[in-house]
Amino acid sequence: MATTPPPPAHEPPKPPPTPPETPVQKSEPASRNIPIRNLEMKATLLLAFTVALILAVALLLAKSRGYFEPKQHLILVADNAEGVVAGMDLTFSGFPIGTVKKFSLGDTGQVRIEIDVVKKDAKWLRTSSVFTLIKNIFGPAQLRAYSGVLTDPPLPDGAERPVLRGDFNEEAARVVGAAKDVLDNLNRITSENSDLNRSMANLQVFTQKLQGKRGALEAVFGNPQDAQKLVDAVQRANSAMAEIQRLAQRGESFVSHADTRVFGPNGLATDAQASVRQLQGLLTDARGSLQRVDAVLKEAQGAVSNVKGATEDLGSLRNEVEASLRRVEDMINDLQRKWPFAKERKIELP
Amino acid sequence: MAHPSTVARALHYSSKAPLRWLAAWGRITFFGSVMVVRALSPKSYSPQTRYNLARHVYVDTAPILGWFTALISLFTLIITRIVIVTSSSYGLSQYALEMVVRVLVVELIPLTAALFVALRCTIPSGAALVEMRRIGHFSKLRRQRLDPVAVEVLPRLLAGIFACITLAALSCVVAGVLAYFGVYGPTSAGADAYMHAIGHVFNPMFTFIFMIKTLFFAIAVSVTPMASGLNNIEDDGSRESAALQGLVRMFGVLLMLEALSLVANYI
Repeated sequence: MATTPPPPAHEPPKPPPTPPETPVQKSEPASRNIPIRNLEMKATLLLAFTVALILAVALLLAKSRGYFEPKQHLILVADNAEGVVAGMDLTFSGFPIGTVKKFSLGDTGQVRIEIDVVKKDAKWLRTSSVFTLIKNIFGPAQLRAYSGVLTDPPLPDGAERPVLRGDFNEEAARVVGAAKDVLDNLNRITSENSDLNRSMANLQVFTQKLQGKRGALEAVFGNPQDAQKLVDAVQRANSAMAEIQRLAQRGESFVSHADTRVFGPNGLATDAQASVRQLQGLLTDARGSLQRVDAVLKEAQGAVSNVKGATEDLGSLRNEVEASLRRVEDMINDLQRKWPFAKERKIELP
Repeated sequence: MAHPSTVARALHYSSKAPLRWLAAWGRITFFGSVMVVRALSPKSYSPQTRYNLARHVYVDTAPILGWFTALISLFTLIITRIVIVTSSSYGLSQYALEMVVRVLVVELIPLTAALFVALRCTIPSGAALVEMRRIGHFSKLRRQRLDPVAVEVLPRLLAGIFACITLAALSCVVAGVLAYFGVYGPTSAGADAYMHAIGHVFNPMFTFIFMIKTLFFAIAVSVTPMASGLNNIEDDGSRESAALQGLVRMFGVLLMLEALSLVANYI
């Protein structure tokens, strides 16, 4: 390599030497000795463009990582750090609101996960918020926050909260164990000497009996004789029911005739009602006659007062007549109270 | 049948191949170190150097900036579409954007930009340096009391680094914007989610490795062809040999840098 010392600084700058034009040098982009107008300005602009582009990208990356936003500190305590990596997101309703800055093993053997939550998103975290660390079978573990009551006080800066952990692999192992138990039980149930198998055999016998001549009766009683007895009993019951029905029809006819005879236009009740009315008239006439007899007797009592002793027989006779009269009156009164002469026509049942 | 002395000379020459290989890499490393020091030294920037630097910076970068960006845009659209359709068919569309950014922006575009600059600028520059040495242009510069390294080599090297960084930066931005539209369509509704995903991918360590990788890609594609061009005099001295050696060594360095960045990022 040529290591010729540079020219002394006191010499005036010479114009750049022009390399000779050769086919090889023409393969270079800058080989053509064509003068470029405003070369320095164009080169400076290109340099400025590149620097500005890199700075803009750097600023954009810094902004995308939230370096310009105020943050709030949150510490989550877990029993296992498996799946946790620095830089993973803390999401709320699917939106990232924080980033895991670091995690370390605490003095009590628990894992402390330190998270920076962006201040403007910290409003979603409340004192009642629940944090979960879910490790799926695919993809990275996911740190999530759930806030059920958004009216609770906001989570203070530097708060420390436990995190609930769910590991698919652990759950899968548990599910596999439970499924194995279920399969063992299923094998035991379906084995040849199992209760279920015997029950199924009995059920098969039962269904075969159901398909027999006596059907379900033979299946229930276990032998055809008892089933036949039940059939005979049912037939006898049917006959008895038919007889009862026939008797009921006759009774109904009898009642109908009786109703016609008793309560019809020329029925017994009508005749009785007319007879009783006639009797009431006779008794009324008798009461009038007796009252007149009583008056006559009173006059006779007065006329024969002098012969009181002689007419004591007449007094006793009068007493008897009065007693008879009271009984007749009582009977008339009773009749008037009785149906159908009473004003309130009702029958008092015993 | 070959003469014994010829066989002995061939064996002697072959036995020294590893040493020559090590020596060549040593010279490249030394050359790169010297050029970095001279690039950081203000005394290296004489008026002739500044003029050549401005010329190479502009001519090496500006003409290819537009259509390289267009090429990368087309490439981005195709890759983004493939990734989105494939991830959606497997129900993993939530990882499509991150995958596009990680694969396209972080891994493919810097490598593409570096290879493009190498093929377009730095390998021809290395070959031109060989030609200049062959025809005695460097001796002529020395007679004029000018440093050929400062006047001819340093501007080409810095212009290659600058072109590589500029192409990578612009292409990454364009690819990022196109990936957004590829995923969300012509709407601004996904801007917050997109920025969050970008911020999630570009954590400080990842960003640092990305920047270092891009810078080292640029240095590698600039230093290796020119170092090969300046150190191939012991061979036949042809420009094809210089270009081929530079290309092979440059690919080796790029492969090593890419492997190192992958190891640092994902292991």
